Amino acid sequence: MPMQGKILYDWPNAKIEESLILYALDQLGTEPYDVTIVGAGVVGCAIAYNLSQYQLRVLLVDKRYDVGEGTSKGNSAIIATGFDATPGSLESQLVTQASRKWPELAHKLKIPFEQSGALLLAIDDEQEGKLEKIHEEALANGVDDVRLVDAAEAKRLEPNASSKVRGGLLIPRESIADPFTTPVAYAEVAMANGVDILLGVHIVGLQKCKSTVKNLVTESGHRIATRLIVNAAGLGGRDLADLYHGAPFDINPRRGQFLIFDKSCHSIVRRILVPLPTAETKGVLVIPTIFGNLLAGPTAEDLPLGSPEATSTTAEGLRWMLSNASGLCPCLLKQPVIGTYAGERCNCKQGSYLIRYNDGYPGILTIAGIRSTGFTSSITLAEYVTEGLGEQCDLSLDRDPDAVDSRPDSCWPGWWRKPIDDAELVKKNPDYADMVCFCEQISRGEIIDALDSMLKPRTLDALKRRTRVGMGRCQGFECRIRVAKIVSEHCDIPLDNITQKGPGSELVAPAHEAIYG
Amino acid sequence: MDKRTNLNLSGRKHARVIIVGAGPAGIGAAVALARKGVRPVVLIDRVSNVGGIPALCKKKPGAVPTFVSWLHGRALVGEQFVAGLEARLAKTDVEVWLDSLVVEIHAAERRLTVVSRAKGKMDLSADAVVLACGSRERSVAERGWLTGSRPARVFFTKHLFDFIDANDILPMSRAIIVGSDSLAYSAAAKLSVSGAGQSIMLDRRRRPECNVFQRLYFKFWSRPKWHGSIQEVQVKGLGVVEGVKISEKKVLTCDSIVVCGDLLPNTELALLGGLEVRLPSRLLEINSGNRLSSPGWFAAGNIRGGFHGAQWCYLNGRKVARSVLKHLA
Ligand SMILES: Cc1cc2nc3c(=O)[nH]c(=O)nc-3n(C[C@H](O)[C@H](O)[C@H](O)COP(=O)(O)OP(=O)(O)OC[C@H]3O[C@@H](n4cnc5c(N)ncnc54)[C@H](O)[C@@H]3O)c2cc1C
Ligand SMILES: Cc1cc2nc3c(=O)[nH]c(=O)nc-3n(C[C@H](O)[C@H](O)[C@H](O)COP(=O)(O)OP(=O)(O)OC[C@H]3O[C@@H](n4cnc5c(N)ncnc54)[C@H](O)[C@@H]3O)c2cc1C
Repeated sequence: MPMQGKILYDWPNAKIEESLILYALDQLGTEPYDVTIVGAGVVGCAIAYNLSQYQLRVLLVDKRYDVGEGTSKGNSAIIATGFDATPGSLESQLVTQASRKWPELAHKLKIPFEQSGALLLAIDDEQEGKLEKIHEEALANGVDDVRLVDAAEAKRLEPNASSKVRGGLLIPRESIADPFTTPVAYAEVAMANGVDILLGVHIVGLQKCKSTVKNLVTESGHRIATRLIVNAAGLGGRDLADLYHGAPFDINPRRGQFLIFDKSCHSIVRRILVPLPTAETKGVLVIPTIFGNLLAGPTAEDLPLGSPEATSTTAEGLRWMLSNASGLCPCLLKQPVIGTYAGERCNCKQGSYLIRYNDGYPGILTIAGIRSTGFTSSITLAEYVTEGLGEQCDLSLDRDPDAVDSRPDSCWPGWWRKPIDDAELVKKNPDYADMVCFCEQISRGEIIDALDSMLKPRTLDALKRRTRVGMGRCQGFECRIRVAKIVSEHCDIPLDNITQKGPGSELVAPAHEAIYG
Repeated sequence: MDKRTNLNLSGRKHARVIIVGAGPAGIGAAVALARKGVRPVVLIDRVSNVGGIPALCKKKPGAVPTFVSWLHGRALVGEQFVAGLEARLAKTDVEVWLDSLVVEIHAAERRLTVVSRAKGKMDLSADAVVLACGSRERSVAERGWLTGSRPARVFFTKHLFDFIDANDILPMSRAIIVGSDSLAYSAAAKLSVSGAGQSIMLDRRRRPECNVFQRLYFKFWSRPKWHGSIQEVQVKGLGVVEGVKISEKKVLTCDSIVVCGDLLPNTELALLGGLEVRLPSRLLEINSGNRLSSPGWFAAGNIRGGFHGAQWCYLNGRKVARSVLKHLA
């Protein structure tokens, strides 16, 4: 196997381990990188994964303190078949291909994945009349395993669907997967193959644009020498493109709010319930999650770029979703909601899946507007741009015979492992029976394994996305402070330096003082 | 001081009565049953000490007494209140299993699955089971009128115990308290005596939920600034809490939010284990004689819903024990 890559955090005043802190870039060697990917969302991570299969020196950077913490952390978690894409578009091509690759990909990367299927429902005559057209479009997209069903069959498939249902379209391969594990899994394999990862590194400048080896400048003044640059910065992509005078495009966050229902609701629907899209919106879906909850959402609200509200929920939005979701599935009105969140799609005025090679200067690739399907398409999009970089930017693509494309066994297997059910394991390490998160039943042992895993998560949110600790119905009422203490003790970080998502999100306000002497 | 080490779970597979939760209600039921000669009685709790919520409230200089004890005729600090319960428990032969989480119940078989460091995962059955799992504070999303961003430092009242009482850390200096029941007032009092100054209190109600007498009592420690009739509270701040928007025009700044009271019973075990639970209120279906929907199942204390003080819960535990005795007879 190739030499494993390094992970470093640029984290001023963090009291995390010395070995994880970025002091100077020569900690990563002095050779320039062949490719630097800016943005470690699901797209950037997938590109790193794909490039790590070749003999290349690759760097992945993100301004946040974990991978997958931007748009990629708040989506519907559907692996789409692309049945409703615009036929003939690049999006349609990449999504439909990806959809067929996912079962194998999920297996290789140890990503929880389930082919739940989806049922598009028509609940009045007018909607019923539109089913045929959607059916044809699905076929035009190459999704040839869809099937029209009548009202009786729809009710038989989903007994809790509204009694108004007039008919529907069954999409058997529409699937659900774990959106939090996916970027982590891509990044871990990339790292195993030698890709370096920098977190907390905000790219704010660019020098020597015209030369073959350019310099990316970070907020704290480091200069990253790299031959090619991939702009996979999602909603940060416009600012980044301004640094190299990339061709014009306009992006803005399109907010999508969600309701999370308790796990006790899981058996209410088996498939993703999809409403008929209207001119204005794709409507509110009811989505079983791989974790066992149900989601209702999303909304589609356009906000200006940079708006702090882009990941905020609103009472109005939540009410609107509940009333819409209960139109598909009336009994949701009576079910307990345990959480809410809002995600921000990267909406691009010039259209989705905007891909430009040699944008501004040779050797720069811009990827913008991966708005609604990037979780699904990440793998094929990565393959597509890798090939493009070879053809358009002279990147030499020699396979690395030692590279792996599966998540190594040494990786932390994830929240679904449930070591408590393995008596032998528990005997060896009783920490697996020391339950910290009562709702999701996550043990101290699993939390420590996650902290020690390859990407060395050091924030509470990163830990939550890996273990699900605090994601259950009590939302951290019981365990929040205990989890912070475990991180503090295991990583030797003072409790008042523990953060939810990096600097500026400390759990304890700075003005605190020890009380009672 | 790690109590885990002297924990000694018996290898038992069956008990006469199992009580889930060693808070005031669980202790009340256990003590009453043991005194009537029922054995073995197994009292299970997931944390390393008995006492439930009151045990979190430590007796420190300045601590606010919020646990009324009719026996002593006065208000005590939680820890003191628990000391009295523990003394009664110690005089019985109730088997106490600590650090043991009940992860599943099986209503029809009267069986429980328990996870503990000492024994891993194991099953335990009984002739009768009392659920005394207490309650928790409703989360931001569950309240329905708290929206906005999800920054650090949105806490529950319980986290004040975890920080201030258990770790001597004051995590905030300008808090906004959401809710206005006696828990909210006790949180304001706790923050004030800990050096965080006066808090701001918000609620949807026009007048505070806490009654006048309790409010007068808490005035000794703090006088939170009151904002009532709030329609929607929008949390502001991306990294940490920076404030809350309470109307089109008004934003209040703060460095943290404490989401108080509005208790929700811990009935998930029951719901998933086949006992009848009403939705969306999550209240247990409780029949006459404190019986739940399956024979041999009972509920005591705050798991029954509503807000009750510790003393009420203890007495309720004793009362439920009488129903259990009837079932066993
Ligand atoms: C509500 C909603 C529902 C969705 N549902 C689905 C679905 O069901 N199925 C599906 O396939 N897709 C879905 N999507 C779409 C999917 O989530 C996105 O397409 C995908 O996450 C985009 O990933 P990304 O890597 O392009 O962007 P991001 O995840 O935003 O990654 C960009 C990264 O770049 C970093 N960055 C930005 N600027 C800089 C800089 N200057 N320096 C360093 N780092 C920088 C950011 O910190 C960020 O981490 C949904 C999206 C939303 C919002
Ligand atoms: C934050 C907070 C503050 C409060 N402050 C006050 C106050 O100041 N004064 C007052 O009078 N009342 C207060 N109360 C009300 C309190 O609920 C009662 O005083 C009383 O503690 C309730 O007793 P209980 O035995 O029903 O439940 P609890 O005291 O809540 O005890 C329940 C016990 O059950 C255990 N348990 C639950 N589920 C499981 C499981 N699955 N497996 C194993 N063990 C389990 C828990 O660990 C806990 O120890 C407060 C409540 C809360 C939530």
